[in-house]
Amino acid sequence: MRPLQGVRVLDFTHVLAGPFCTRVLADMGADVVKVNSETRAQINAPIGPYFTLWNRNKRTIALDMAQDEARKIAFDLALRADVVIDNFSMGVLERWGMGYVDVSNQNKSVIYVQMSGMGSGGPWSNFVTYAPTIHALSGLTYTTGVPGRRDIGLGYSYNDHQAGLHAAVAVLSAIEAREHTGKGQRIDISQFEVAVNLLGPTFLNYFANGEGIEPCGNDQPYDEIGPHGCYRCAGPASNDVLGERWIAIACLNDSQWEALRACMGNPEWSRDEVFATSGGRYQNRRELDERLSAWTKDLDAWELMQMLQAAGVPAGVVQDGVDLMELDPQLIEKKFIRRIEEPHPTMGSTYADKLPIDFEHTPCDLYERSRTLGEDNVQILADWLGVDQKSVIQGEEDGYLR
Amino acid sequence: MMTESQRALSGTRLIDLTDARAIYGAKLLSDLGADTVRPIPPEGDPLANRGPIDKQSGESLWYAFHTTSRRLFHMSNSSKSRRQLQSLCEHANVIVLNDGHPFESFLDLANVRDSNPGLVIVECTSFGNTGPWKDYLAPDLVAGALGGSVAITGDEDTPPLKPFGDVNFAVSGAYVAVAALAALRHSRQTGKGQLVRVSVHECIASCLEHVFMWYLYNDVFRHAKGKALERRGSLHWSNLYQVMQAKNGHIMVTPTPSLDNQLVWLIEENAFEDLLDPEYQEPNARGRWARRMMEVLRSWVATKDVESLFYEAQEHHAPFGWVHDIPQVADNPQLAGRDWWSSLEVSGNSVKSTGSPYSHSDTPAEAGGIEHLSAESEGIIDAIGWGN
Repeated sequence: MRPLQGVRVLDFTHVLAGPFCTRVLADMGADVVKVNSETRAQINAPIGPYFTLWNRNKRTIALDMAQDEARKIAFDLALRADVVIDNFSMGVLERWGMGYVDVSNQNKSVIYVQMSGMGSGGPWSNFVTYAPTIHALSGLTYTTGVPGRRDIGLGYSYNDHQAGLHAAVAVLSAIEAREHTGKGQRIDISQFEVAVNLLGPTFLNYFANGEGIEPCGNDQPYDEIGPHGCYRCAGPASNDVLGERWIAIACLNDSQWEALRACMGNPEWSRDEVFATSGGRYQNRRELDERLSAWTKDLDAWELMQMLQAAGVPAGVVQDGVDLMELDPQLIEKKFIRRIEEPHPTMGSTYADKLPIDFEHTPCDLYERSRTLGEDNVQILADWLGVDQKSVIQGEEDGYLR
Repeated sequence: MMTESQRALSGTRLIDLTDARAIYGAKLLSDLGADTVRPIPPEGDPLANRGPIDKQSGESLWYAFHTTSRRLFHMSNSSKSRRQLQSLCEHANVIVLNDGHPFESFLDLANVRDSNPGLVIVECTSFGNTGPWKDYLAPDLVAGALGGSVAITGDEDTPPLKPFGDVNFAVSGAYVAVAALAALRHSRQTGKGQLVRVSVHECIASCLEHVFMWYLYNDVFRHAKGKALERRGSLHWSNLYQVMQAKNGHIMVTPTPSLDNQLVWLIEENAFEDLLDPEYQEPNARGRWARRMMEVLRSWVATKDVESLFYEAQEHHAPFGWVHDIPQVADNPQLAGRDWWSSLEVSGNSVKSTGSPYSHSDTPAEAGGIEHLSAESEGIIDAIGWGN
């Protein structure tokens, strides 16, 4: 038994943020029914690696929501769901007659989640966004970079994952509330607000002290510590495009600095009193970075990491995807990437990265492949609505279950 | 002081033994209404001095943000103090902790579990409890380096970069909250608590978007140069989103979901250059055409006023994003329009702060204040209502 066994989720999400939320719920045992259709193909179509990654452990139903019969089925499913969730721009489900008021009038316990880019209400409510849009608007792009640049930002769709995780927290908290009240509720998630909230201390600093922040590379923006950065090493690189190997070193206190000095052989420059305190090292961090880089450039990053960690210095190789897959002993030991047992009908072998949560008594180590368009029509409609197989096949032939 | 309104987790008793790796999760649970006690060691909270610092009071704003809605339980070295902590744990529904917390030497969690069988314990470690790296030290930068987020952030002419702030620990924090709530549901249904383990390393690796896809399905991506994509500034793995320089600012240009719609817009603006050339109609030319589209966009964007372009893009249903600095975000009309900002009390002063990352219609989350408890006071359990 997994911890969310028995929770039914009707899933209208697409792309990454919404599907990541429902993936987490599905991994933990929720019965997630994902709605697709032939007519809403594009990135939501159940084909290709991107869809496959975010939609394992879910079942799929095909509904052509342009047709009355499909909308009726979707509404009936919503009446039997614990959770209804979408991440469309605002208003799509309402136009299908499945707004919160419509559903909750007949399903008092439904938890109805809308996780749009900008949230419900406000002058930008109907704006369309992707994670890079959110990064830009929230300050994450501006702050992640080096001095003089405001065009770098995060190299991946970080906030899609965070919006998904926050949505999962919101859903599970509403389930807990329902245990006590018997009532469901509506949850409005603005992916933009998730991102801005992640910069909470920076905004507190702005409002309390009137200070913005400029991009500062790998420096700690507010804490005077050092060294704190990425340093070029020797050694083979797995990334055959840039061909570089780097190590991150972060000394948070004087004792870690002393340990690092010892590892370097206590070179004369390190005995300069300007480096004796955290504040001094921070004030002279560019010189410190140059000195460290000169030391690391001829060293093997993996050996260096082991030596530094053994001495109590926080250090880690900058691992790329190949490193994570082929060299990382922690991920390999945990079988972090798994080939899904059942081949996908069109893609063949597909893979899952494991849920990073290990439950002692309710293990969540079941990973089933993503499903093709409408693959579970019969089973879902039987399980949730008691519809017989013949009617489902008729619906598929008529086109509304496609 | 604690707010009295009904919140989603009202009635859930939480002990917060976290450090920077999981405290964001404890904050999420606390702001959702969990009745949270955070024990503070006699020498003070190790996190209490992290910057930014309030210039007026000298208080840590980082700490103020992360310790909302909590009772700070000030410990001493006395046996009475330690017994009270043990008792609090025996009356809790959930304990969230990191390995190496300040109370490990005397807090007997095995005994606590025996006397409190419904208890959920979420233990967050850097690399898990086994393996050659299990004892490695990993502050956010090192965690991001080993977890994979640093390698894909930065540009060709910069070092690999740590995303700003505690971005990596915010991921593990969010997972900790998810883990606690899922196990709590199971405990409510069965009466059985459990130990739940969360690895920061795995959390980061699970949120890398394209990284594993690129490796595992490398044969699908015809423009792939290898199994690991290099850091390349803001250029998305799809090659179709990138921050571009406008006349007076920067903007994330995202011509998808419809490149054809973007082309129509460029035609309207007479800025389509050679994008209609027949060579791009040839089979297999779509990739070349898309790359050329990005070049044309760069030239076109450079002629545009950034604010006008942002709003024009939204009118065209194109998800462009104007690159805002902190003051611009603070003045954002959408956040103001949703009345989103809240306030926090810092040393007796009210400071504007971020709002909740979600809005529950019936049980709104809200960052409450701090209550101080002395571990030397009598009858803590009854005093805070945990004896009922």
